[in-house]
Amino acid sequence: MTQISWLIALIPAFPLAGFLLNVFLVRGERANGTVASLSIVAAFITTVIAVINLAGMAAESRYIAITLWDWLAVGRVTVSFGLWFDPLTAVMALLITGVGALIHIYSITYMHGDSRPGRYFAYMNLFVFAMLILVMSDNLFLLFLGWEGVGLCSFLLIGHWFDRKHVAPGIVPSEAAAKAFVANRVGDAGLLLAMMAIVSHFGTLSFFGSDGISGFVSKLTDASFTTISLGAFGSVGLVSGIAFLMILGVVGKSAQLPLFVWLPDAMAGPTPVSALIHAATMVTAGVYLIVRTHAVFDLAPDASGWVVIIGATTALIGATAAVTQFDIKRVLAYSTISQLGFMIAAAGMGAYTAAIFHLLTHGLFKALLFLGSGAIIHGMHDIQDMRRMGGLRKHMPVIFLVYIVGALALSGIFPLAGFWSKDEIITHAWYSAQNINVTVILLLSSLLTAFYMGRQVALTFAGDVRDKDAHPHEDLGTMKWPLYILAVASVLGGLMNLPGVHWLNDWLNPVLHQEAELFTLSMGIFAAVTVLLATASGYLGYRMYSGAVGARIKPGDEDPAHYYLGDIWKGFEMGWGLDYVYQRIFVKPYRTLSTFLHDVFDQQAIDGILVEGSAGMVGRFSQAVARIQNGNVRTYALVFLIGVVVLVGYVVIGA
Amino acid sequence: MLPTIFYIGLSALLFVIGVCGVLLRRSTLMVFMSIELMLNSANLALVTFANQRQSLDAQIMVFFVITIAAAEVAVGLALLVMIFMRKQTTNIDTMTTLKG
Amino acid sequence: MELVIFVITAIVAIIGAVAMLTSRNAVHSALFLLLNFGAIAVLYLLLQAPFLFAVQLIVYAGAIIVLFLFVVMLLGAERDEEDANPIRWQAPVAITMAVLLIGEIIWVLVRQSQDGLARVGSSDSDFGSPAQIAQALFTTHLLPFEVASFVLLTALIGVVVLHQRRS
Repeated sequence: MTQISWLIALIPAFPLAGFLLNVFLVRGERANGTVASLSIVAAFITTVIAVINLAGMAAESRYIAITLWDWLAVGRVTVSFGLWFDPLTAVMALLITGVGALIHIYSITYMHGDSRPGRYFAYMNLFVFAMLILVMSDNLFLLFLGWEGVGLCSFLLIGHWFDRKHVAPGIVPSEAAAKAFVANRVGDAGLLLAMMAIVSHFGTLSFFGSDGISGFVSKLTDASFTTISLGAFGSVGLVSGIAFLMILGVVGKSAQLPLFVWLPDAMAGPTPVSALIHAATMVTAGVYLIVRTHAVFDLAPDASGWVVIIGATTALIGATAAVTQFDIKRVLAYSTISQLGFMIAAAGMGAYTAAIFHLLTHGLFKALLFLGSGAIIHGMHDIQDMRRMGGLRKHMPVIFLVYIVGALALSGIFPLAGFWSKDEIITHAWYSAQNINVTVILLLSSLLTAFYMGRQVALTFAGDVRDKDAHPHEDLGTMKWPLYILAVASVLGGLMNLPGVHWLNDWLNPVLHQEAELFTLSMGIFAAVTVLLATASGYLGYRMYSGAVGARIKPGDEDPAHYYLGDIWKGFEMGWGLDYVYQRIFVKPYRTLSTFLHDVFDQQAIDGILVEGSAGMVGRFSQAVARIQNGNVRTYALVFLIGVVVLVGYVVIGA
Repeated sequence: MLPTIFYIGLSALLFVIGVCGVLLRRSTLMVFMSIELMLNSANLALVTFANQRQSLDAQIMVFFVITIAAAEVAVGLALLVMIFMRKQTTNIDTMTTLKG
Repeated sequence: MELVIFVITAIVAIIGAVAMLTSRNAVHSALFLLLNFGAIAVLYLLLQAPFLFAVQLIVYAGAIIVLFLFVVMLLGAERDEEDANPIRWQAPVAITMAVLLIGEIIWVLVRQSQDGLARVGSSDSDFGSPAQIAQALFTTHLLPFEVASFVLLTALIGVVVLHQRRS
């Protein structure tokens, strides 16, 4: 038992070691990449061993816990640096280390010739470490450490090319990094407040405690009628309050309405970063948080309802925005927002297994798509605009093949991974939650998903190269095997949780206590209808953009659909204008205030009165005091005597 | 045996006279003598307390104070002679090199 | 009897101190200081410190005052305060402070005189004799005694070095 405990401590230790080695010892691009990749591969192998051990345990106590040390002890609250490895953590850790390892290997070729490879690989390792801490922590505070750690790494990696003033499509990396950071801060404040509420009412931040039952999760039921007074705003149930605050954190980290604006701009980072952080792992942390603390949301139906609304709306907004994009990575970014919306909606409806299932399959095929698009960008010499592509099928056959697999999986085409997981969510919305609005929205989003993937494939691979100056070539190097492996995984990913077999459901049952839903014939028909619709929509998208509409696209021009939809299309393209709204509501007034403070307050008050005024006063005072230093010994002796008199007087009279 | 307060009062009076000497006289030699007077008044207080408490420790201490005072006077006067040789005066107000 | 001796001695000591303070001539000052030291030596006798009485006379009256006189006469610095006082405000402030200080001391003495200054133990006629002092010096306080000898040696060497002509 103890050996197993130390084994799970090794899982985050490997990436940390890789980070430290890359920062302090290892020099040279090749060595950086090798060390980073090996550390993640080692972490993956360790995870696999840990999972095998975990599978051998009895279902009712299927977890490995280890407290490495007591981290903080403040008053009655003690926060331990403790790791917790249960089936939910296991699947997350497998995804993080597995996909992470592939992306690290992929990066060796992708980042070849970069000016700062050591920094890149060190931050990637640090990211994997932080993400593992996030999913493996046994308390909210350590989770928050990982939560902030991944945010920091996201910031650092989005800004990897901070010295470039402009990357496609017109983003400044340093600004994009700051934007991601600030948007996440808004959410993190909510999570922090949730933690404070939990500490003040339950006295612990541990999920389950060292014995599995003494954490705050088990105390929630007793507190379900506790309310918090909000002064003039009435009162709110404690659990609901915590849940709402957590939602804030979730929408920030998982790029949901209304904080998703940072994710499209996050594409300014290198593509493997987008694949690892902004598709497969970090952005799913919000989903993980909801599932991990599902007891909170189970007791707060009002909060869960909002989760569903947020998730479904975001799914639709993301899908509509993805349809209109021309930047190959921006399509995928909005697609990720949309798919995260699916997961959040599923989690809000209580379909935690479905959410995790979609999280896993999405992690596989979205990583594949990002890596594929990265390979395309690599082969096109940093061209990301799909209007300048086209006809890449002839030039990049391997990439075409794997990209098609990823696109089909994302579109939810039978029998690829995306079909099973997305279908499970929609089916749940229809049959179990019986929420027709959400079903319709999700279905619509799903059809749009197929459409924009068809459009993307057509724009990228069909026809001939539109930009005559481009010289597409396919040179994969270490990028080849990660693409192959992820392609196979995207095909087979659905096996995890097939209807009737539901391995994932059984595996997660000790954590989530959710029985697999019975598979009925009507569900099968429902699924068949959706898949037919999706196929039709995808084919339509492909057909339109490889045929008549596609022929009218020229580099730098509007999409032909803009002609028909006009401002609606424009609105979609701007991500429903949230960026514009934030710009007007927050950024502009803030800038104005800053300018005012700079010109008036800072220069007049701070510089004029406080800085120079205080300096002048000190100077004048010093000149006055300096006169006492007349160099005369008798005066010094007199001052000494005055001191004696005062001190003796203080002691004598005061005593 | 007289009350202790008599001796202590005398000691205090002598001490303050010594303080006045240090502060008011401008000849370095006079300042020096005043310091010796202050030392003596402190010694007197110590011996008084030794008598009051019937403990020899304070008397031993006075012995050491006298020893150190002898050494101090020797070195101090030697320095004074050096200063006089350089400045041709013992006036303390001319020694203002500490001026800031 | 004791009181008479004390009062006379105290008056002599105060007169010596004040005269030292006010005398314009440094030689006179040194001699008044000698008078003061002698008076204090007598007080030592009253306070059962015959050994210190002897030391006071030998070291202070015998050595230190002679050294003072020697230096005053060597330098011809009997009258060295002829020029104007450069810091006029010094005198009033200093006297005020001195008065305050003695006021504080009197305050303490008055408040402590009830119990704090009471005599402890019985009078021992042998107390403070050279034998007892020697006993304490060479047993309990042997280390400080040896250190004191080093201090004297250091002072000796220091004075010699100070007056060595630099070549």
